[in-house]
Amino acid sequence: MVGVSVRLETAVGALRLANPVMAASGTFGYGLDLADLCPPERLGAVVSKGLSPRPRSGNPMPRIVETAAGMINAIGLQNIGVEAFCRDALPELRVRGAVVAVNVFGARLEEYLEVIARCEREDGIAAYELNVSCPNVSAGGIEFGHDPALLEALTARCRAATRRPLWVKLSPNAPDLTATARAAVAGGADALTLINTVRALAIDAAARRPVLANGIGGLSGPAIKPVALRMVWEVHRALPEVPLVGIGGVETGRDAAEFLLAGASAVQVGTAIFREPAAPLRILGELERFCAEHGVADVRELIGGLQWR
Amino acid sequence: MIARRDLAVRVAVRTDLSPTCFRIVVATLEPFAAVPGQFAMVACGEGLDPLLRRAYSIAGVARDGERTLVELMVKEVGRGTARLRRLPVGAEIKLLAPLGNGFTLGAGGGARLVLVAGGIGLPPVLFAAERLAEAGTPFDLFLGAATAAELLDVERAAAAATAAGGELVLATDDGSRGEAGFVTAALARRLDEGRRYERALACGPNPMLRALARLARERSLAAELSLEEPMGCGVGVCLGCVVELADGRLVPSCKEGPVFEASRLAARWSA
Repeated sequence: MVGVSVRLETAVGALRLANPVMAASGTFGYGLDLADLCPPERLGAVVSKGLSPRPRSGNPMPRIVETAAGMINAIGLQNIGVEAFCRDALPELRVRGAVVAVNVFGARLEEYLEVIARCEREDGIAAYELNVSCPNVSAGGIEFGHDPALLEALTARCRAATRRPLWVKLSPNAPDLTATARAAVAGGADALTLINTVRALAIDAAARRPVLANGIGGLSGPAIKPVALRMVWEVHRALPEVPLVGIGGVETGRDAAEFLLAGASAVQVGTAIFREPAAPLRILGELERFCAEHGVADVRELIGGLQWR
Repeated sequence: MIARRDLAVRVAVRTDLSPTCFRIVVATLEPFAAVPGQFAMVACGEGLDPLLRRAYSIAGVARDGERTLVELMVKEVGRGTARLRRLPVGAEIKLLAPLGNGFTLGAGGGARLVLVAGGIGLPPVLFAAERLAEAGTPFDLFLGAATAAELLDVERAAAAATAAGGELVLATDDGSRGEAGFVTAALARRLDEGRRYERALACGPNPMLRALARLARERSLAAELSLEEPMGCGVGVCLGCVVELADGRLVPSCKEGPVFEASRLAARWSA
């Protein structure tokens, strides 16, 4: 450190965070699973694994495969259900003072509302993050996040169910990213998280089969970082007033700075946690050092600071 | 049990065990202990490719003056393991350990255990054998491999079995050393002869573990199997290594295992 103190506080809309580094949904369990290696209260926020009204067992194996600088997963949204989360994880997260965002998904609109309704009975939830990359069984299986009208309706119904901050996690696979971003905002989203995993295929050439039991999966890790940066920048340019949470291959403090420059107010660390459970803390330290070394006294100076030539 | 930690360790020894398998012993000055069956997530070097760590069962833990030595055995199968094989002595690597549960080592009043390993499934079984020998718990040790060249560390296995007053049985698929055929068939023959064991502890490829689970069910033999599902994180959060239990639940093998009682596993394991 070069003797400069760096202000790390940021905010995602009205939600103030002690620092801009969060643990992403699906990579940090329910907030406590890795607490011995990465205390959740030291992060800007932790996002729970996607919760459904009832427990889900997920897809058959194999579910993950490593690819060049990344991995593809098709876990199938296995989770303990919202009730077990509220009973088993939330009380200690509250005691620790962790900032908790609950990631919500459903196969039908009503399931999103069920999860939110259960969480509304609990203190200690700072925000909801809607996973809209699931097929809507009531609408022929089209993903909520792929149809702007459907996404706006879903967001509006969730908006009406809570006064807490509502984030919508956008899929990079939607036909028109800015249209879906606008739809989520029109439905009442306070912020947008982007990006979710990129649909991908790994092939076992010898067997002439997909590697994953599910066939298609979602690509994450450093391989998708340039795509994620481009999408954050595009949405930031289209909707400069909307707070964004950047995610996609953040491995270093410099990566985090790049997402902030592209327009994100905070970042989520995901796949990096799989190879290094304390990655979010390391990245936070590196971001602080980056700021100090580059004369950035307040991390918020970076947000949207990309100078387009 | 000692808490898991992400340690920076140094390669102290790296030797070949067979044309494809090698031993890595890493040294740490931090307090470290593990029980047989527990594993480590090992980073294969710097950089983003390969991205994920590799899971290896611990083959032994020993004190060496100020240092603690942690022994791993690795089969070269891809880029990550090829990089590990080329690491020079003195190189620093990250090792997250100890992870998972372990084998149940105790045996009541003179009862005998049977340890079964196939191929690169040897490490946790060898670790268990040496701990049992130290504790004076009797066991027989069955080692199987495809060929004689892939039977690893036979001398150490023999020393442990001898110290415990037990038998070392070798088996190879091609008959190039020991009994010809699968190691589980060699065990079945001993059971046919009337040998009795309190419990089997096993690690090896899934077909071997399935054969052992089937044998255990047929002969009412308690068995603990160390499963080798490919793992993403090793700490229960990626849910990439789930195993189906008899009650239908899918549980991460890294967290609820890697050692499972055979009777807890879904029926297809012993079908």
